[in-house]
Amino acid sequence: MARLQRNPGLFFAAHSVLAMVILLSGCDKPPTQSLDNAKARLADAGKAGAIRYAEPAYRKAEKLVQQGWLEIARQNGRLGPLRDYKTADSILALSILASQEAIAKTRDSLDRVSFKTRLGLEDLQKQIANWTESVNGSLARYKLERFANAAELQLHVAQNLHRRGEYDAALTALTKGNETLRQLSVLFADFADADARRLSIWQSWIDETLANSRATGGYALIVDKSAHKTYLIKSGRLAKSYNCELGYNSAHQKLLAGDGATPEGRYQVVQIKLRSSKYYKALLLDYPNDSDRKRFAENKRQGIISTRARIGGLIEIHGDGGKGDDWTEGCVALTNQDMDHILEYVTAGTPVTIVRKSVNWP
Amino acid sequence: MKKISAILAIFALLAIFAGCSKAPEAEMAAAQASLQAAQQAEAETYAPDALRMAQDTLNAATAAKTEQDGKFALFRSYSASKDMFVRADALLKQASSTAATEKEKVKAQVMELLAQAQAALDSANAAVAKAPVGKGNKADIELIKNDLAGVGVQFGDAKADFDAGKYMVAKGKVEAVITKAQSLMGEIAAAVAKKRTGSAR
Repeated sequence: MARLQRNPGLFFAAHSVLAMVILLSGCDKPPTQSLDNAKARLADAGKAGAIRYAEPAYRKAEKLVQQGWLEIARQNGRLGPLRDYKTADSILALSILASQEAIAKTRDSLDRVSFKTRLGLEDLQKQIANWTESVNGSLARYKLERFANAAELQLHVAQNLHRRGEYDAALTALTKGNETLRQLSVLFADFADADARRLSIWQSWIDETLANSRATGGYALIVDKSAHKTYLIKSGRLAKSYNCELGYNSAHQKLLAGDGATPEGRYQVVQIKLRSSKYYKALLLDYPNDSDRKRFAENKRQGIISTRARIGGLIEIHGDGGKGDDWTEGCVALTNQDMDHILEYVTAGTPVTIVRKSVNWP
Repeated sequence: MKKISAILAIFALLAIFAGCSKAPEAEMAAAQASLQAAQQAEAETYAPDALRMAQDTLNAATAAKTEQDGKFALFRSYSASKDMFVRADALLKQASSTAATEKEKVKAQVMELLAQAQAALDSANAAVAKAPVGKGNKADIELIKNDLAGVGVQFGDAKADFDAGKYMVAKGKVEAVITKAQSLMGEIAAAVAKKRTGSAR
């Protein structure tokens, strides 16, 4: 100390260094706890899935944490008395709020999308069940079942994706499934419209068949495709009804050989096969008749069917029915027992009228 | 003599400070590039914890550098922040590597499922192609062929998702393909039996 007092320069330097040490040590403390909290909340948001489900909110929180961190660093670089961490504190407080908001938005988004997917799955499953019931009972099953199956595949895909938490992809699959069912409903409605347009014609065929049977006192057969019934008529009155099975594609008129449709029209029995049929016993019909040939030629002319198409033939009412399904290539199938019964009354020349639908009879 | 020693000491001190006062720009740039690479490697999805740790180290390095930037030049020392940037760079590279490994694992799983699905579809298509068709099962076979076509489209969707790197979505779709293809094999067998015996569905 005496040495310092003897040397004023050295005395001044020593006091300057001491003053600088005091200045550099600073007064305000950096908010390290706030920074740790902010980092921890951001990590929570990341773990909750915010990067995926609430990315803008997550990135906002992330940016605020970085800004707060850098602001602390900037203040740390200043001389002690000049440091002010209030801004850094505010930024970090905002970042914690932003992280909490990101977590809330993530939960909300996940809840909504998970709920939406779950509802969508239930709805599609119900719709498919309803359509399957309608399709199974419909003449148009052959044409419509593929749509129901395609929708069901989309349902399974959506269920798998939902289980994996891939909700957006599950919703896309549900949308595809619903669109397929929409196409099914349009087709179903088209078939119904087509039926409605021809109802009066089929009804007139039935009326004429009944009138002729009444007039002659003889027998006739009427096949109602939609009802899957064959009716035995005697003297214009219903004598007996039989369940029957049809061509696998019988929702419309027969167009050509191999289309799987049972023809609609007014026919008669031309041959009775008691031993020579592959399907127990059979009544051969006179398909194609003049009306069928005329329609076939017109369809070719209009390009509805190929010019190379054949009209087909060998349409019968035969046995080996009772399979519970439309399985023939166009014939009408009854059980062997019902064939035996019908053969007691039907002969060659018996009129056979086949309609798609009847509403007023029997 | 004392004056010369003092001057030499001052110069030595200045030299030391000058060495420590060079900002670690190259190390920072390298770490930033590694961060971008890690993000492109989808480390956020496949190695989120490793990425988070690496990002924290990078942020700490940036903060340490910023702190030194604000100091008077003679009192700056970037050695700590330089070390931190180097460490952050190494961690980010590790995160990229971990992400690539994890992604490959998931990719391999889905590739195996795709192979299973392809085999199931090939079997079903071969079975339906040689199934005897006749009165009684023609409609069934036609419907199965149509369903198989639909499953084939779904398989194509799964492959497209796989090619786009959406492995979890692809996995969900391909599992449905496998299930449906196996179910159709059963339906083919039933249709063939129906043709042989003439029995109902």
